[in-house]
Amino acid sequence: MPDEVVLSVSGLTKSYGAQRPALAGVSFELRAGEVLCVVGENGAGKSTLIKLLSGAVAPDSGLMTIRGVTSGSLVPSQAMALGVATIYQDVELIDSLTVADNIFLGAERSAAGGAFVDTRTQEREARHYLEMLHLDIDPAAVVEDLSSAQKQNLQIVKAMHQDARVLIMDEPTSSLGYEEKRSLMALVKDLRARGIALIYISHYLEEVFEIGDSILILKDGERVGVYRRTEVDVDFVIRSMVGRDASLFFRREKVDIGGVRVEVKDMHWPGVVDHVSFEVRAGEIFGIGGLVGSGRSELAGLLYGMHPRSAGQLFLDGRRITPRNPKDAIRKGVRFITEDRKKYAMFGPRSVRENVAIVHNELAGGPVLALRKERGLTAQFIEKLHIAVSDQAQAIDSLSGGNQQKVIIARWMIEDADLYIFDEPTKGVDVGAKQEIYKLMVDFARHGKCVIMISSDMPELLSLSDRIGVMRAGRMIKVIENAGIDEQFLIKAFLGIQEPGA
Amino acid sequence: MGTEGKATPSLLRSQWFLLLIVMIIIAAITGGINPRFFRINNLVNVLEQISTLGVVASGATILIISGNFDISVGANIGLSACVMAMLMKANTPYAWAIAAGLLVALLCSLFVGACSIVFKAPSFIISLAAIGVFRGLALFLTQATLQTIYGKFEGLGSTRFFGVLPLIFILSLGVYGVIGYVLRFTKLGRRIYAIGSNERAAYLAGIGINFNKLVFFGINGLLVGIGAMMLLSRVGAAQPSTGAGIELQAIGAVVIGGTPMMGGKGRIVGTFFGVLLMGVISNALNMLQVSPYFQDVTFGLLIIFSVAVSALSQGRSRVAA
Repeated sequence: MPDEVVLSVSGLTKSYGAQRPALAGVSFELRAGEVLCVVGENGAGKSTLIKLLSGAVAPDSGLMTIRGVTSGSLVPSQAMALGVATIYQDVELIDSLTVADNIFLGAERSAAGGAFVDTRTQEREARHYLEMLHLDIDPAAVVEDLSSAQKQNLQIVKAMHQDARVLIMDEPTSSLGYEEKRSLMALVKDLRARGIALIYISHYLEEVFEIGDSILILKDGERVGVYRRTEVDVDFVIRSMVGRDASLFFRREKVDIGGVRVEVKDMHWPGVVDHVSFEVRAGEIFGIGGLVGSGRSELAGLLYGMHPRSAGQLFLDGRRITPRNPKDAIRKGVRFITEDRKKYAMFGPRSVRENVAIVHNELAGGPVLALRKERGLTAQFIEKLHIAVSDQAQAIDSLSGGNQQKVIIARWMIEDADLYIFDEPTKGVDVGAKQEIYKLMVDFARHGKCVIMISSDMPELLSLSDRIGVMRAGRMIKVIENAGIDEQFLIKAFLGIQEPGA
Repeated sequence: MGTEGKATPSLLRSQWFLLLIVMIIIAAITGGINPRFFRINNLVNVLEQISTLGVVASGATILIISGNFDISVGANIGLSACVMAMLMKANTPYAWAIAAGLLVALLCSLFVGACSIVFKAPSFIISLAAIGVFRGLALFLTQATLQTIYGKFEGLGSTRFFGVLPLIFILSLGVYGVIGYVLRFTKLGRRIYAIGSNERAAYLAGIGINFNKLVFFGINGLLVGIGAMMLLSRVGAAQPSTGAGIELQAIGAVVIGGTPMMGGKGRIVGTFFGVLLMGVISNALNMLQVSPYFQDVTFGLLIIFSVAVSALSQGRSRVAA
């Protein structure tokens, strides 16, 4: 029954915290032998959708019907038992075991009364599966010796062995070379011919149009629509992905831009950041855009001395200041407001005051803290940034996301600096706090500082940046003057789709 | 000093309040069965017994808040006490003998810290292995014999002001005071909390992680040395097994005092009450003539219980946040 509906979801909603839901009332159907491609910008809700279907998180509301079984939420073992398998980017295999061992993990063929694993039978059956899918992998090979493409294929084989009927693939080609991509495309087509239903998530629209039967477009957590591949074109898809309310744009005050202050020369981290050079002028907000995984945050980390670099220098006002480590970077006037504040910035159980004052204290001389001064400064910044706290001694953990972010920004503002790097400055921040953070960034610019802002939020990038550097696969492929360009133009640049005449 | 208390809601404070109540109950029951419990001499004894534990637990407080453990402190005490005792037996001036003992304790703790940093291994495991190293060294040095120094170096351990206040207890109060000051009023203190609550964030805020961890282990080592000195003076003899088991009591006292095993939080006041509770329970078990074997069982269960309480209250606050 090739047209049988194997998966249908209706009204699927999930929100993390008080902000706009990550996924809002999404519905669609998937038939056996159908490839459904899911597209959308960073943060459109694609990952959330996968997590709900694979049982990693439970939805707030909505129903999922998988092969006739309807449920409100799943746990991973249920999803697997119903035949839904998810192939993740970071491969979940056991490196020290063989290909066959991995395929049969948890369901080993036993010999000698159950105590031993029947390696020979396992390898024979594994070879059968591998040949069926035309994969050239030795069942007896140890997994750590496989290439990343082979590992991914092995995950697919494992899912087939577990009798999966629905395969979810999340950015399966993001780390593959050209040949490997071709063979994955062939594998997907093969699976489709066998009646497997696939949910295929990709940033690469050329793949989507090659293998997709239908395309689900998500935007800001909502379904824009599900279209047959044959009824839409690339331009339509891009328009649908980015079109949105003009109210999300911030009207910033323009600031006079001076001469070049920051020069990044030939920053290189093999395999991650590929010889990136650019300049930032006094009073300029330099946006960096690109898809997740394009090396944006890693570039920022290099400028801050977090990662070992194999080449590259950072200059400020003509002096070389390439930092050796974050401590060095701070002393040389570089500030880095990281993307994931919980992981990289917050001292969760500690007070707002301690969180605000830490960098100030580290830069102050002497072993004993100036507590009165610390209290005064904290009060001053709580007022200046309108941070909603009951008390300076309140634990930062207990604040809302926006207030946490403002506490962290306060930390980096107390002591003057020259270069401020913001990585996703308003991630998980409500609209009101967003505007205030934007004003702070413009304020830095007005005082002649340099601001580098990495953002996946298109309106943010377009409304704040003076220029936008576009990163793709570790390289800064172009720097665009932010004048008269729109989201469609940008996303095409991110995706590497050539503009006619560009 | 009260500003911190306003914010850290009742959890820590209620924890010592709870400890106080438990202590009073234990004292009341024990005193009811055996009135000798309340004699001045017995109470002074308790203070003497907990002095060494208090000094060692102060070091453990710093390490646990910063996210580290040193469970080799017992073996470290054994080794440094043996070194001091042997030198004193050989008529080395006390100052030199003590200096040598403190140096040994310092180096031992730095060794644990450095290995944990260099090999990127949990200090818990490194210090577990270090027990064998330190005890083996002590056995080799002493050839497994008891090093008695009767009649020597007794002043420190036997002095009692006004007949009731032991000098070593005053000394331990001084240590609590210094560590409390460091935790609350110094840059180093902030680094202890910062590294313990989020090491990566501390690194990105410009704190040198490795150097500071070594400082924490160094302080711990010095305190272990002071503890060994106090113990030696009180007992008048040392052997490689001297101090064995104190690591569990110290970690137990810190955890009972409200410092979570995961670090990032905690106060010295809690450790003070935790140590006091340990001392009271130990003395009460003696007074009630409970078999010494069963006393080990009691302490083991007590520590498991306090870890459980700590884990559960952490879990609750997580959900609430």
